[in-house]
Amino acid sequence: MASAKQTKSGTVMVVGGGVAGVQAALDLTELGYYVYLVEKSPAIGGAMAQLDKTFPTNDCSL
Amino acid sequence: MSLSGKPGAFKAELNLRPRYIDPDRCTACGLCTTYCPKHLVDTYNEGLSVTRPIHIDYPQAVPATYYIDPATCLSLLHDTCQICVPVCRSNAIDFTQKSKKRTLEVGAVILSPGFGRVPDEALTQYNYGNHPDIVTSIEFERLLNPSGPFEGEVRCLSDRRHPRKIAFIQCVGSRDLGCDNGYCSSVCCMYAIKEAMVAKEHDPDCEITIYYMDMRTQGKDFDAARVRAEEHYGIKFVRAKVADVMPWGKNLKLTYSTLSGEHHFEAYDMVVLSVGLDAPASAKQLAEITGIELNKYDFCKTTTFDPLASSQKGIFVAGAFQGPKDIPESVTQSSAAAGIASSLIKAQRGKGVVVKSYPVEKEMAADEEPRIGVFVCHCGINIGGVVDVPRVDKYIEGMEGVVFHAESLYSCSQDAQEVIKNKIKEHNLNRVVIAACSPRTHEPLFQETLKDAGLNRSLFEMVNIRDQCSWVHANEPAEATRKSMDLIRMGIAKARHIQPLQEQTVPVTRKALVIGGGVAGMIAALNLAEQGYHASLVEKTDSLGGHLKNQRYTLNGDKTADYLKKIVDQVTKHKLIDVSLSSSIVAVNGFVGNFSSVIQSTGKGKSAVEQTIDHGIIVVATGGQDHAPETVLGQALPKSPLIITQTDLEIRLDGKTKNRAPKAVVMIQCAGSRGDDLAYCSKTCCTQAVKNALKIKEIDPESQVIVLYRDLRTYGYAEDSYREAREKGVIFIPYSMDDKPVFKATAKKVEISFNDPILQEKVTMEPELMVLSVGIVPQDTEELSKILKIPVNADRFYLEAHVKLRPVEMPVAGVFLCGLAHSPKPLEEIIVQAQAAAAKAAIPLVRGEVNVEPIVSHVDQETCIGCSLCTSLCPYQAIQMVKVDNKRKAETIMASCKACGICAAHCPTFAISMGGFTNEQITSQIEAFGQAGEE
Amino acid sequence: MSKEAFNPKILGFLCNWCCYAAADSAGVSRYQYPPNLRTIRVMCTGRIDPAFIMRGFVEGAAGIFSGG
Repeated sequence: MASAKQTKSGTVMVVGGGVAGVQAALDLTELGYYVYLVEKSPAIGGAMAQLDKTFPTNDCSL
Repeated sequence: MSLSGKPGAFKAELNLRPRYIDPDRCTACGLCTTYCPKHLVDTYNEGLSVTRPIHIDYPQAVPATYYIDPATCLSLLHDTCQICVPVCRSNAIDFTQKSKKRTLEVGAVILSPGFGRVPDEALTQYNYGNHPDIVTSIEFERLLNPSGPFEGEVRCLSDRRHPRKIAFIQCVGSRDLGCDNGYCSSVCCMYAIKEAMVAKEHDPDCEITIYYMDMRTQGKDFDAARVRAEEHYGIKFVRAKVADVMPWGKNLKLTYSTLSGEHHFEAYDMVVLSVGLDAPASAKQLAEITGIELNKYDFCKTTTFDPLASSQKGIFVAGAFQGPKDIPESVTQSSAAAGIASSLIKAQRGKGVVVKSYPVEKEMAADEEPRIGVFVCHCGINIGGVVDVPRVDKYIEGMEGVVFHAESLYSCSQDAQEVIKNKIKEHNLNRVVIAACSPRTHEPLFQETLKDAGLNRSLFEMVNIRDQCSWVHANEPAEATRKSMDLIRMGIAKARHIQPLQEQTVPVTRKALVIGGGVAGMIAALNLAEQGYHASLVEKTDSLGGHLKNQRYTLNGDKTADYLKKIVDQVTKHKLIDVSLSSSIVAVNGFVGNFSSVIQSTGKGKSAVEQTIDHGIIVVATGGQDHAPETVLGQALPKSPLIITQTDLEIRLDGKTKNRAPKAVVMIQCAGSRGDDLAYCSKTCCTQAVKNALKIKEIDPESQVIVLYRDLRTYGYAEDSYREAREKGVIFIPYSMDDKPVFKATAKKVEISFNDPILQEKVTMEPELMVLSVGIVPQDTEELSKILKIPVNADRFYLEAHVKLRPVEMPVAGVFLCGLAHSPKPLEEIIVQAQAAAAKAAIPLVRGEVNVEPIVSHVDQETCIGCSLCTSLCPYQAIQMVKVDNKRKAETIMASCKACGICAAHCPTFAISMGGFTNEQITSQIEAFGQAGEE
Repeated sequence: MSKEAFNPKILGFLCNWCCYAAADSAGVSRYQYPPNLRTIRVMCTGRIDPAFIMRGFVEGAAGIFSGG
């Protein structure tokens, strides 16, 4: 596991933990940055977590 | 929350609200919720069911930790109750937690707050709130969901009956100036079709009607799904404006008017309002905190050429806050934003993270006797309350190879990890079996513990006696205990055969190959270069620019030529970008991280030159071009100078001639698309038609412009321009497939007859020009798909790895996709997709190596007979044939292997084995399955 | 038919990514189903060699379940 060091700018803050925020956070970590993902509700996932299937393939969305 | 500072050095102040539950202790067992005496409306289920103040929104929530709603909890409100505290076996509940302030120093910010709900007045105009069976589409989504209020059964909220007739009303809170939402939300048509199809699957006899203005299924493969909904599922689509919905006995009466002005009504059991996406509720607050500008609809303001940059430097936007959009586009924007943010602070790359180190792994001889340690977890009462854990533990005693076994209260807890480590050392264990919850969630944690104890992480087997045993057989403790014994016996049998697997990495050539020199390829190359990586850009023609060269202006009046010139300049001047014009790829060898490709270049009068380059990744951006239809509206297309394409018209309108705006013009949408030569919708033509119509009206307001269309698909903010065009006198007339316009043309004259559904009569016109919206076709995808071994869809566009979640990746590792080669799309979306492809492609380049999961396949070349059955079956092109001592042998390309095991299952000589899933291991599990019964 | 009379032993091969995950979800939602199934996790149902199925029957399985 990684943890933050005291550097000025090797980190990015992502505001909102829906599918967009989570994807941005994941890609940023893979690109070599520490990420703070800030979400107002108790769980990440956003609106997509309420969906069962997705158009047009009706794949499961969770 | 507050934000200060500048790009590279922002300072954010946050307020962290307490959960009142210690996430390190909570095991998500759910006992607390069953004891909590207070009710709480379940917002996750859109208020259609109840939960308790102490709860988790849904079982798969991340983090998998419960929390307490401070607005309803009796203890937090009135200092009473606290029943949950002694109930929790892991002492996780902590009412003393307080809000915390936290300051973050960050180099860049990405805003992805999502979307908000449409205003109430959009709903109340259809009587929402006055009858329980008028529901929003999000409520209906929950009704359909197995984890929803009726466990996936669709029932009327009024009396729990199954609805026989359901109506969907489209554009609720979208395309509606009444609630200040002039834009199209771009997703509702798709989700309405999806919900209707799922409802039909639940109950095939249910009658479903969708009332719409235009069905905007313009995305890749979306139109095909719409056709399927109508033809296969029997869903009815009615083009009409719904006037109102009124209670009518037990039912609802829906009144609607069609284009011809006729009024009808129809009774329904349930009416679903397809609500649009509004700006997020926090938009104004975010704008205040960050200083970003919002557009007139309170979404983040951005531009066509820089779609993800907010008005503040260093602050980027992704997802629905940038404008209403669906999941794949949100995911694409997120990757793109990550890539741009990454270029901005690339000097600091890797400085924010520290890497953990592990002790050196113990050597293990191949014939070392197994010394297995088994831990059986109680998981509090989650397992122990059903399964007789002490009896199971006793059952393990004396099993072959087991030298230690013990019970554990919570095997995932911090102190249990220490116990496991100590026991590994004390008993010199070389295999560990843990019977607890699911390996899908906890295997990484225990493997980490093994590594900490100096054992190879593969020497581990997990047995699932919670999620797949105690939880699903809660009322049959004896059977659950028996099942646990069987599963553990099978796990131990496998463990005897586990061998350590080496962690493997493959080095990466830190260079990129970008195929296609249009805007997608150029943006991708530029972004990769900005991240610090060399890119070879290969273009088939003798100049850069691709399809964008044909465009002159955007919908909001920006000059595309200026933009194109700027990008071409940047590309040609960038030190890290090599451009090869008049060149094509003739061969690609290798795999992710280690490709080697042959580029063939031709010059004027010169013979072709070939060069080979090494690169780690490939971005495919081969683009598309205007379709040249042979059939339009079922008619062979006559040759006439009076019939031109929208692109021809755009070039003409951008010229200087005095009569460049035709006096009378008829535009025909879907000319050659959606059923003629092409099956699909090209997404961009409606907006292009509106753009050109507005341009004509700008040049000559007296011009008569008629647009014949099927569904006008000006999604998103383009809807504003569609409205503007109507206000300026452009006439839009829909046609249907059973009553298509008919045309005749000679060199001098063109004549078009069509039905006007408002006047309800045939109209014949002789306009100065007939303009065709012809759609876009991909270029040369078949050729390259063979070279790269990547698939194309029925419409010859490349097929991405996963439509929703991996929209810019290809099924072959290390190959990425963007632009028109993926599907038709407007400039703004092409730019974002190219940025996203570059971000994804940069990941292996940043790492410098590709990690290989040790569970990949391995070919024993002694046994291999070189039949190449495996290479033909592998879905990931991860097995290649090589020459060994002049004999053909198969060889795994570890970096590409996904460990599915299809090769191993089909190898006629059993020469292929899968790490962690060998024939021996699985067979021993099956054998152990057969030994049930003895205790 | 009484429960004692018919209590088959079923061997299941579950794909890690879908069916095994679904079986976990069933547990999280506390769905109850008969306890006759014993499972083997594989990374993909493509891994299932027909020999595994034959061997399962030899070892006394009344039925083989493949979920992917």
